[in-house]
Amino acid sequence: MPKLAVRNLSKRYGSIQAACDVSFEIAAGEIFGLLGPNGAGKTSTLESLIGLIQPDAGEIEVCGIDARRHPQVAKAHIGAALQSTGLQDKITSCEALRLFADLYDRRVDLGTLLDRFGLRDFAHASFDTLSGGQKQRLALALAFVNDPQVIVLDEPTAGLDPRMRREFHTHIRQMKSEGRAVLLATHDMEEAERLCDRMAVLARGRIIAAGKPTELIARARDTTMISVQTSAPLDRLPRLAHATELVLDGSGIRFATTQVNAALAELVAALDAQRISIVSLRGERATLEDVILELTAASSGI
Amino acid sequence: MTGLLRHLLISVKLNFRNPMALIYGYLFPLLFLFAFWAIYRHEQPPLMRHMGEILTITLLGGACFGLPTTLVSERERGVWRRYRLAPTPSWAFLVSLLTVRYLLLLTAGLIQLALACAIGASLPESSLSLLLAFTFAAFALMGVGLVIAMLSDSVPAVQALGQCVFLPMLIVGGVALPLSSLPGWAQHVSALFPGRYAVQSLQATFGGQPLDTVSFDLVALLLIGLAGLLAAVKMFRWEPSHSASAEGKPWILVVLGVWLSVGVAAELQDRIIVQPSEVRAEMADPVREPDHYLTEGSAPKSWREVTEADFAEIAFERLPPDDGIVAPIAALSDEPDPYTLARLDEIRTALLGWTPAQVEDPVQRARNLLFVAAVPDLLQMADIERFLPAVVLGRLRQSIPPADLPKILYWVALHPGQGDDTAITALPALGLPEINGPTRRDSRGRVMLYAFKLLERVTPLQARN
Repeated sequence: MPKLAVRNLSKRYGSIQAACDVSFEIAAGEIFGLLGPNGAGKTSTLESLIGLIQPDAGEIEVCGIDARRHPQVAKAHIGAALQSTGLQDKITSCEALRLFADLYDRRVDLGTLLDRFGLRDFAHASFDTLSGGQKQRLALALAFVNDPQVIVLDEPTAGLDPRMRREFHTHIRQMKSEGRAVLLATHDMEEAERLCDRMAVLARGRIIAAGKPTELIARARDTTMISVQTSAPLDRLPRLAHATELVLDGSGIRFATTQVNAALAELVAALDAQRISIVSLRGERATLEDVILELTAASSGI
Repeated sequence: MTGLLRHLLISVKLNFRNPMALIYGYLFPLLFLFAFWAIYRHEQPPLMRHMGEILTITLLGGACFGLPTTLVSERERGVWRRYRLAPTPSWAFLVSLLTVRYLLLLTAGLIQLALACAIGASLPESSLSLLLAFTFAAFALMGVGLVIAMLSDSVPAVQALGQCVFLPMLIVGGVALPLSSLPGWAQHVSALFPGRYAVQSLQATFGGQPLDTVSFDLVALLLIGLAGLLAAVKMFRWEPSHSASAEGKPWILVVLGVWLSVGVAAELQDRIIVQPSEVRAEMADPVREPDHYLTEGSAPKSWREVTEADFAEIAFERLPPDDGIVAPIAALSDEPDPYTLARLDEIRTALLGWTPAQVEDPVQRARNLLFVAAVPDLLQMADIERFLPAVVLGRLRQSIPPADLPKILYWVALHPGQGDDTAITALPALGLPEINGPTRRDSRGRVMLYAFKLLERVTPLQARN
């Protein structure tokens, strides 16, 4: 049984369809990414799951509980860290953790939580004195006060420095290894590719693609881009039967191919005929970012 | 339950870590307390007749500014959005919020009370009645504060909306200025605001009245509080971006409807104490020339030549009424409260050694004593003015032979411009305020009126028939 199941979720604000027929499931020990540009419907989907907004239609099941019918019961199983965590300026980390533990009617081992999220040194510092990273650590810790089975993270690493981002990635992987279902909404394709087991790409409120990151990349494009620098400029564009999008710029050649070996053999033969040698050669597969930009652009009709 | 208690505890702690909350909640009301003490410095015991007003200002500051400012600023920074992720029901947060605010108001009220007692005021006879009246007033004004919070999108909006409620109540709502000193229209307007009922129910407990004498005011406060609470629940919003819902906004009309209904009920039950027409008529032309009070012209050459026939020419019915604003005299059935009684005793004792009451000329002596009633009347010292004429008469009877007293009073009444008025400068020796400038001239008119009125009381009845 999935820890989180969303079926045909829809939400409309006036004439704007924020989410339309969104469906996905997340199993225990799985990290599921929700990707898409601003206004794609990530926030509406996410807020519907955690009870911040009421969807117009659809089903949400959290640990087998109908979250729309029993929102308070479902909330007890969800932990969420939003983009920005709002707390009173003068509340300390310790007080905030105690307060939220009591709001969930749970007893927590404060020491363990403080240590796990690196908050021990700031336990008694007021919220307004914490740095952005420390505030995000506290947000993660707050999401854990109820030992949730489902974790919802909305852009958890936005605005953090690389060291802090790496630390957060470790936290997220640890959640997965503990058997929790993690829903991660992010703009960061590299992060999504690195962390997510599966993902869905949203555009204009709809899921336009879903699957494992490698599947998504493979499904969208199996082309390799080849860039070559030569020892001397070429007189003319070589005839390469296995290449497309061929561009010649002085001593630089760039082309796309689905048959790398054949295309390179043709190129080497053409260069040998002109007695020109290869100085450097680089081959690149399309990145997840390329794929998503391509997918969302196609969906928007750009 | 533990969540609610924890939220309550942390909210109290955070309030004491917020300097602005402390200024608004505790310091600001203290400034009013000291201002009232300065304004009514001649009243004894101090502040006792204004504790209702002072406590209502404390409640207004905490409930109509403090409560919505806290709620809206927390909502603005996303604290309530974060709370909403927890499985705790929204009513628990509202209960906690109101309980915390009530406790803060209670502590602010206790500090006010302690300071007032340190200055010389005393606690009311029934502390329980005071606590009940305070609770009713707090409930009503917290209801108003919640509605302000639901209508405001930002903290500056709270300040603007709060001032729209606070200032009218302060100025024309019977909160900062006593109802009796307000013009008639303002008294009618005051019946539409909760501040008036808060002041009256709180002040009643300091006057030793049982709470059933202010049951109307308590019911008014309860209704206003309930309407505010209901409207706030209907308009409740967790997030700054969501303004009050379309279904919720009509509840504002319910709140205003309750305020209006309470005002209309007060009108129908004739609870707007001083009728504006009487006040205006009386204040428009309060004091006339002495001839106005005589049926025929009479001109004895000195006070010794005044006869009973002269008394018969006085039109006592033309004098202002004893229960009016000008030159009032308490009826025999009108008992002063214990504090006024003590103050009157002090003045009576001080008058025995008062130098102006011992001057050789009996006419000037009488005139000097009449200033003791005239000046507090002119200053509208509502607590004491109507009881002073009896004290003055007592002293007049001690210092002037009975046969001469009516003649001298007649003479003083008919010659208000004669003699000197330096006795006014000796009034502070009696604990009464002195006056200066043109007001001193006005006090001679009041001397005339009291001379006539006391003459009516010392003249043999047959002389007037």
